[in-house]
Amino acid sequence: MKKINYKNFLVGLVIPIIVLSGCKKDFLEKPPIDAITDASFYKTDEQVLAGTAGLYNKVWFDYNDKASYNIGDFRSGTTFSAYNDRGNVLFNTTAENGENNASYRSFYQVVAQSNLTIININSNAGAGVTPAIKKMAIAEARFMRALAYRYLVMNWGEVPIITNNLEIINDTSIRRNTVPSIWRFITREMRAAAEDLPETPVQVGRLTKWSAEGMLARFYLTRAGVEATGTRNQSFLDSAKYYAKRVIENSGRQLLPVYADLFKWPYDNNKESLFELQWVYQPGQYGAQNSTPSYLNFSPDIANGDGWGGDKGGTWWMLSQYDGMESFGDTMIKGRTVDQRLKATFMLPGASYPEITQVLAGVKQKLIFPNNGGDVNFASIKKYVVGKAEDVGGQAAQQNYPNDTYMQRLAEIYLIYVEAVLGNNASTSDATALEYFNKVHTRSGLPALRLTDPVTGTPTPLTFDIIFKERVVEFAMEGVAWYDLVSLHYYNPQKAYSILNSQDRGFYNITPDAFPNPTSWTIKKTSWATTERKINANAGNFRLPIPSAEITQAPNLTQPAVDYP
Amino acid sequence: MKKIKTTFNVKALFLWAICSSLLAWNGVYAQADGRKITGNVSSSGKPLAAASVINKRTNVGTFADNQGTFTIQAKTGDVLIVSYIGYVKKEIKVGTSDFIDISITEEQAKLDDVVVIGYGKARKVNLTTSQTSVSAKDMEKTVNTTIEQAIQGRAAGVFVTQNSGQPGGGISVTIRGISSINNSTEPLYVIDGVQLQGSNSGNGSNNLAGLNPADIEDMQILQGPSATAIYGSRATNGVILITTKRGKSGEAKLNYGAQYNIQTPPKRVDVMNLQQYAQMQIAYKAIAGGNVRGELLDPSILGAGTDWQKELFSNAAMQKHQVSLSGGSNNTSYYMSGEYLNQEGVAAGSGFDRYSFRINLDNKPREWITIGTNLSFNQTNETTTSGQNGLITSSIQLSPEVPVKNINGSWGGGDLTNPAHQFSPVNPIAISTLTTNMNSKKQFLGGVNLGLNLAKGLVFRTSFNTNIGYSNSTYYQPTYSIGWAINATSTLQNGTGQNSYWNWNQLLEYNKQIGKHNVGLMATHEAQASNWKNVGGRRTGFLTNDIFDLSAGDATTASNTGGSGEWAMESYLARVNYNYDNRYLLTGTYRRDGSVNFGPEKRWGAFPSVSAAWRVSQEKFFKIPFISELKLRLETGLTGNQGGGNAGIYSPLAPGASPWGTSFLTSVYPNKALQWEETNTNNIGVNLGVLKNRVTVEYDYYVRNTDKMILTASIPWYMGSNGTAQITAPQLNAGSLQSKGWSFTLNTANVVQKNFKWETNLNLSHFQTIVKSLNSETGFLERSSWWLNQADPFSQRATVGLEPWLFRGYIEEGLFTSVEEISKSAVPVDNSGNRRPTSPTNGIWIGDIKLRDINGDGKITSDDKTNIGNPWPKLFGGLTNTFSFKGFELSVLITGSYGNDIYNFMAWENSNPNNINLGRNMMMHAWDYAKVTTDNSGNPILANPETDVARIISGVDVNGNYARQTSKWVEDGSYLRLKNVSMSYNLPTGIIGRQKLIKGVRGTVGVQNIATLTNYSGFDPEIGSYTGPNANNGGGAIGLDYGRYPLSPIYTFSLNVNF
Repeated sequence: MKKINYKNFLVGLVIPIIVLSGCKKDFLEKPPIDAITDASFYKTDEQVLAGTAGLYNKVWFDYNDKASYNIGDFRSGTTFSAYNDRGNVLFNTTAENGENNASYRSFYQVVAQSNLTIININSNAGAGVTPAIKKMAIAEARFMRALAYRYLVMNWGEVPIITNNLEIINDTSIRRNTVPSIWRFITREMRAAAEDLPETPVQVGRLTKWSAEGMLARFYLTRAGVEATGTRNQSFLDSAKYYAKRVIENSGRQLLPVYADLFKWPYDNNKESLFELQWVYQPGQYGAQNSTPSYLNFSPDIANGDGWGGDKGGTWWMLSQYDGMESFGDTMIKGRTVDQRLKATFMLPGASYPEITQVLAGVKQKLIFPNNGGDVNFASIKKYVVGKAEDVGGQAAQQNYPNDTYMQRLAEIYLIYVEAVLGNNASTSDATALEYFNKVHTRSGLPALRLTDPVTGTPTPLTFDIIFKERVVEFAMEGVAWYDLVSLHYYNPQKAYSILNSQDRGFYNITPDAFPNPTSWTIKKTSWATTERKINANAGNFRLPIPSAEITQAPNLTQPAVDYP
Repeated sequence: MKKIKTTFNVKALFLWAICSSLLAWNGVYAQADGRKITGNVSSSGKPLAAASVINKRTNVGTFADNQGTFTIQAKTGDVLIVSYIGYVKKEIKVGTSDFIDISITEEQAKLDDVVVIGYGKARKVNLTTSQTSVSAKDMEKTVNTTIEQAIQGRAAGVFVTQNSGQPGGGISVTIRGISSINNSTEPLYVIDGVQLQGSNSGNGSNNLAGLNPADIEDMQILQGPSATAIYGSRATNGVILITTKRGKSGEAKLNYGAQYNIQTPPKRVDVMNLQQYAQMQIAYKAIAGGNVRGELLDPSILGAGTDWQKELFSNAAMQKHQVSLSGGSNNTSYYMSGEYLNQEGVAAGSGFDRYSFRINLDNKPREWITIGTNLSFNQTNETTTSGQNGLITSSIQLSPEVPVKNINGSWGGGDLTNPAHQFSPVNPIAISTLTTNMNSKKQFLGGVNLGLNLAKGLVFRTSFNTNIGYSNSTYYQPTYSIGWAINATSTLQNGTGQNSYWNWNQLLEYNKQIGKHNVGLMATHEAQASNWKNVGGRRTGFLTNDIFDLSAGDATTASNTGGSGEWAMESYLARVNYNYDNRYLLTGTYRRDGSVNFGPEKRWGAFPSVSAAWRVSQEKFFKIPFISELKLRLETGLTGNQGGGNAGIYSPLAPGASPWGTSFLTSVYPNKALQWEETNTNNIGVNLGVLKNRVTVEYDYYVRNTDKMILTASIPWYMGSNGTAQITAPQLNAGSLQSKGWSFTLNTANVVQKNFKWETNLNLSHFQTIVKSLNSETGFLERSSWWLNQADPFSQRATVGLEPWLFRGYIEEGLFTSVEEISKSAVPVDNSGNRRPTSPTNGIWIGDIKLRDINGDGKITSDDKTNIGNPWPKLFGGLTNTFSFKGFELSVLITGSYGNDIYNFMAWENSNPNNINLGRNMMMHAWDYAKVTTDNSGNPILANPETDVARIISGVDVNGNYARQTSKWVEDGSYLRLKNVSMSYNLPTGIIGRQKLIKGVRGTVGVQNIATLTNYSGFDPEIGSYTGPNANNGGGAIGLDYGRYPLSPIYTFSLNVNF
């Protein structure tokens, strides 16, 4: 080796010394560069509002997708699917059922996201956020959380109440809470939300005080049955009546004059709506869009690369609920109805829907629901079906629709008032109750209900059965009927079972008297379809079982429930 | 270094490369002087053609011709250096004679080799750790599209399985068992200093696919804790050090290699032909009711129908051309190569091609300076339609009555008049032709290094390495109408990604010998960082099917995605080597790593190791004559794992759409206290050489304990951790794993004669990994392949006390053969807990599967699922035999795996006789469905009680015969495979003659994947981890055969010419 002079030697030594002194400290500080992190957000009104916007859609997606109608309608017997989702159609929702799982997970996503929104706003929102916005945003999250718990407690009964997920991440001792204490928690929360929400929305579609008070009316009406000892709790009935009246008189909400317009696009955030899930059509995004129409559209002819609802339709029982559709023996329903809700809810052969485009063999036309004949056909679903992209301003693609899902509309508040007034009585002749009932009833085209028959003079009082039937017809395919049955079940389970067990959920075929523009239909039971027409609802299968996958990962849920403070 | 910029000057790098090349040429054409000396080089009387002879003084060299004769200019007193690969280098002083006869000897002890180790080199005999190597010579024998394929069967302790036979497809490399449960178990690859984390990428593509295996000189597989700990946190899964070829001083060597391969279709899975299909249809309708379609009524007049496997699989060619030039003077050497490879896939809709180019330069401008440069560039194009679109499964399921093409030339498909056909797959030939699913990647890999000899024994080295990649993917689905399948909207998805990585290392090394004491010290600082960015776009509504550009689509349907990330790590490391008299050897290493994946308190992890070896055979008292080498080794060390990404300590918000603009929701639960996962390994080893090292044995036994495993916590759904708006469970440190195993290598030179040589390499390995603890109270983690059968998805479980990822399912105990047997057995229950009825139409019946009631509650529920199979082998290995006779060399490689199970999901999916009603074809096995009949007394019985195929059901499958994952589908995956046989021939010098152009010719013929001895019934027992749609990076299902792309026989012809 050559002799190295000292200069070189020093240079050689100095380099490593400099180098070994290491990198700057921030070399190893690299927060995500493709996402905002919590600590840097919630600094302005705009950011706080963006922080609660997702609570209006994405968190509810898994519930809305298929569980909304699987649980809300299939289980309650208003609609059925001939070949799919048979577990729910036959009231046999197991602990492994997909929609049982999806909805359970969805409601707890609402809870977790609401909790974190509250925590994040409280800890990160600074001087740049208007106090009113901060208060409202927290109230929005409390509203969503309370509503999610309403679904949880009604479907699964005892479930754990969680208000701070960060504190219990490694806690495996969480217990379920008792049903009355959950109801106490959610009415308390909803009252707080009503307190803090503004009377007019900050942005169209956002929650108002009236949304919360409407929910309070609903909650109290149900809760009156929860803590019932033989009869419903009168003070809760009074609260339901109180909040219903406030919403009716002060909210400025009004029934739409024509029922069918509730579901004709664009109907979002109309005068009748108190709260609806705010779906948006967004190609490439997942979770903020309405996917339900894909499963309801009866055929690809009227859909956008989907149309998987060919085997879904109203049940035999449901079709018999419309005034004028008369039953002949046990095998035939025949007749016509002036109730416009039938056509707006189900498509019967020959019915015209000019707002929906149908493409048949390459030819575009206005939809006239086809009469396929045969011994099995369906009263396909119309509600929430809005047609092809061209029918909704280009805003539709497979599993991607823009139309909102009602969570509560004014018609329900009227009927809550009526039921709260009826309370524990067999019937009521309260004039306001009758007036409110008829507001909903006559909008459909039906004649007003009178307390005495104008011809015979016999009394026709306003009873629970009349109100229940009105609710079934008004809200069919809106995921409501099941919860009406759960409300009833709290204080009169036998009646809930007898309604369910009397229903016919089997195959039928429909023949119109003319095509198109029929005036009446004949509906006959499919002769060979003799099995699986009736269900057996009982105390053992009325509630949804907590998903088995959840029990496996959280065995603490098998411990006895405790009261939530 | 004060602050490192993430960019560097590419221009400067290239300038440096060009300057270095000029220097190189200058060296080669240096002037010569002196008189003409003639000589002859031989070994054992055999002339050595192309032996290199260099005049040490003038640096001028030449090569011996085919008779071993050379001529060189030299003066008396000059020294000639004679070298030949595989022979001991010799220096000869030129005397007065003009003729010199030089005889050199073959290198005997391979143990004297110097091998590459982490951050340095070491004499192989002095290694104190477990390290195996694969040389270029070994690799040449098999057909390797990508470099990891070359390791298979050649290195003990390394379990290699190909995830997919798809050209360019990914591979799973597991070194010494599983060290981590959620994170990648792939090793770290260090390619000339560029650190590349192996990835088990879910889309089946391979991040090492760009490298040309022919450029590799040597691969060292670091397994022992002392060897790997020097790579600290990145080395838990082992390290594969790859050194590319470099030039050697002497005359330039020009080499051309061409390879042509024919790949043949895999063994056919036995499915029904059209006649059999029609018979099945008739049999089905007879039981289930309904009418047989007219065209199927008389099977005897039908032909065989379409054989979809035959249509999908065909012979495919693979060709490769490679040119390399290498050489150099004493001061400068160079290696340049260019390659083109094109591999068609045996399945339609697959293929791979690669262009690669490399320059490696080494320069020694002064005695005390060395400068090295490695530059490589490659481009790969991959067609992945067959894998991503499930075409192999389609080829099994599609009915033989569907033609590939209809008479009118349109694509054949299930027809609309038979609604059942809606459940049959779409024509795979049509899909592979119509769909475009391609990935193209460009990669630059290279670096520069500088070495300074500061004083005797003291060296400073610094190197800067980088890896820059660019990828582009195109997925186009045109509009089509194939039978019932109508795709009304064409869709194009384009994605591009960029990634860059750099690493700067500064190293100081000091070696000193005092008497018999040898001391080596090394200290290093290293910084590395990477970043990536992806952009994707999608549009639908293309009016023509031949313009693959987003701008041609409907703008109103446009959507896009993005993503980016950064990573960095800084490390300090040191090593002390001490040996006394080459007898007692001691190595200690210490490394500290700081990673961005952890918060300030937990950022730095320390990874020490120590190892010792005793070369017993060097002792004076050791007097066993036939033992030439005996070394005992002992080592212990700690390595780490930093987990998947830096999101664990942060709580990022996920954007979404809303009527009021973008919404933000929490997407991950943060864990600010996340820390390093640690693996401690203890290893004992022995090296034995017998009969002058004609027989060498290496054996290692190890115990590895992984603690503080980085896991995604398993938290209940009530945490909102599952679903569309989920808050993903946090990363946390919990649980531990233990692996115990051994590896054994035996090398023997069985026959060594003048003209005939027979050498054998045998390697065998065993490992068993046990889950020692987990965070979850229930004591298991589950991986569910939810997209495979939604009713009861295939799943794998890691349970405390057992091996990770055992298959889950029911234990099937044959079929019910009598009503009495049903009534005595546990059966499924309804939602009220009552037994399902015993009935042929809506209940449990004879011919239904009988399941074991694991919990003994008299009911079959999901609680009766248990562990039904183990994907890990008990033993695996390889055996290579090499025979050389004169110019011929025959090499035979056998690989095998023993004791692992495979879940044959493909059979599960295609053995259900009821599927005939869905218009699906099925495996012949289904024909033996349970046939229910009545005996003489009128009782229902099973006519074929020996069958295991459940009955055809006219009503509802209440028992779930074909909805459950059961033990019936678990098969023994053991195999012994004749992996490769190759015969090569070096053209004798006599034939090449005295012409100057060609110096050597070597021709090879070979066959790969020739024969496989296995009981496995699927295409191929070599199952890696799942790749395909919905695959999860790092968490793919293991041992699951879902109709994966099989490996198939390859016939090879290659030619190598040295100019």
